[in-house]
Amino acid sequence: MNKITNSRLSRNKLALILIGIPVLGGAWWAFRPEKLFINEKVNEAAPFTVGSEAQPVYTGKLEGKIHQTSGRATIYKSADGKHYLRLTDFMTANGPDVHVVLVRAEDKALEQEIVKGDLDHVELGSLRGNQGDQNYDLPAAVDLNQYQAVAIYCERFHAIFGVARLEQF
Amino acid sequence: MVRTVKTGLVIAVVATAFSLQARLYAQDNMKQDGMKQDEMKHDKMQDDKMTHESMAKTLFTGKFHGKVHATSGRATVYQEADGKLVLRLTNFKTSNGPDVHVILVATKDAGDDANFLKNNTERVELGKLKGNEGDQNYEIPAGTDLAKFQTVSVYCERFNANFGAAPLEKF
Repeated sequence: MNKITNSRLSRNKLALILIGIPVLGGAWWAFRPEKLFINEKVNEAAPFTVGSEAQPVYTGKLEGKIHQTSGRATIYKSADGKHYLRLTDFMTANGPDVHVVLVRAEDKALEQEIVKGDLDHVELGSLRGNQGDQNYDLPAAVDLNQYQAVAIYCERFHAIFGVARLEQF
Repeated sequence: MVRTVKTGLVIAVVATAFSLQARLYAQDNMKQDGMKQDEMKHDKMQDDKMTHESMAKTLFTGKFHGKVHATSGRATVYQEADGKLVLRLTNFKTSNGPDVHVILVATKDAGDDANFLKNNTERVELGKLKGNEGDQNYEIPAGTDLAKFQTVSVYCERFNANFGAAPLEKF
């Protein structure tokens, strides 16, 4: 009697092992849980020669505020370490005294169309054209960690034409 | 006395004319679109034709977002000098998993839901994910219509789960 239960137990165990191991194996293959803890890090170079070409470091899309504004704002770092801003596919309304400025992305003033009081900004120059690709040099001292947005800004009326929040390229 | 009044009038007229002119000028400005076409800054590139030719053009870019599995980084499509299209992932990070692939999806953006390809969304396979962290390149098959396949997805084939997606926008 005792022997029979024992053998049945061991048969059950055997069956469990015979079924359990493949099931566990299958589950492991399917879910690969160890991958949760193992990272596969790669570091491929760009597929082309970088050379002395300027590299984009930040980019963002322009969004219209008081006037419809569209296009892309990208900050490039040239080989000599200088930064410049390039607007592409750019379009905004034309107007008087319009400037391209860097502003703080988290500045509450950017939520309004007309800024009350002063806007904390870094001047890049008068807007050269309300359409088309254009470049603006950045002052050497500018801290791009602080000023992470580009604004098209009418100084006379404190009107924000459009804003591009920059993100790491 | 009359003289003073006359001078005053003349000054007033001149001042009005000036302000009117300024206003007219401003209106002119409003109507006319000043087109500007700056060339890309090339440094020495412009003289050096060989280097110039080996340059790649940036066509599209987008940021990854992912909720099911936190996914971050940037996807950028480059066109090499010989016309080949390459997808490059930079600052890339996702969770590791089994059977993960990089695909292009024919949608504007992909939701974060698992099983997102059930409604027969068209896709282009770019290859197995080379690593769940770091910069990596994937060739895009020649003839892929990037106007149609506008989203990059990091996709688990086995479970049809979207780890993360990056909607591509014109650079």
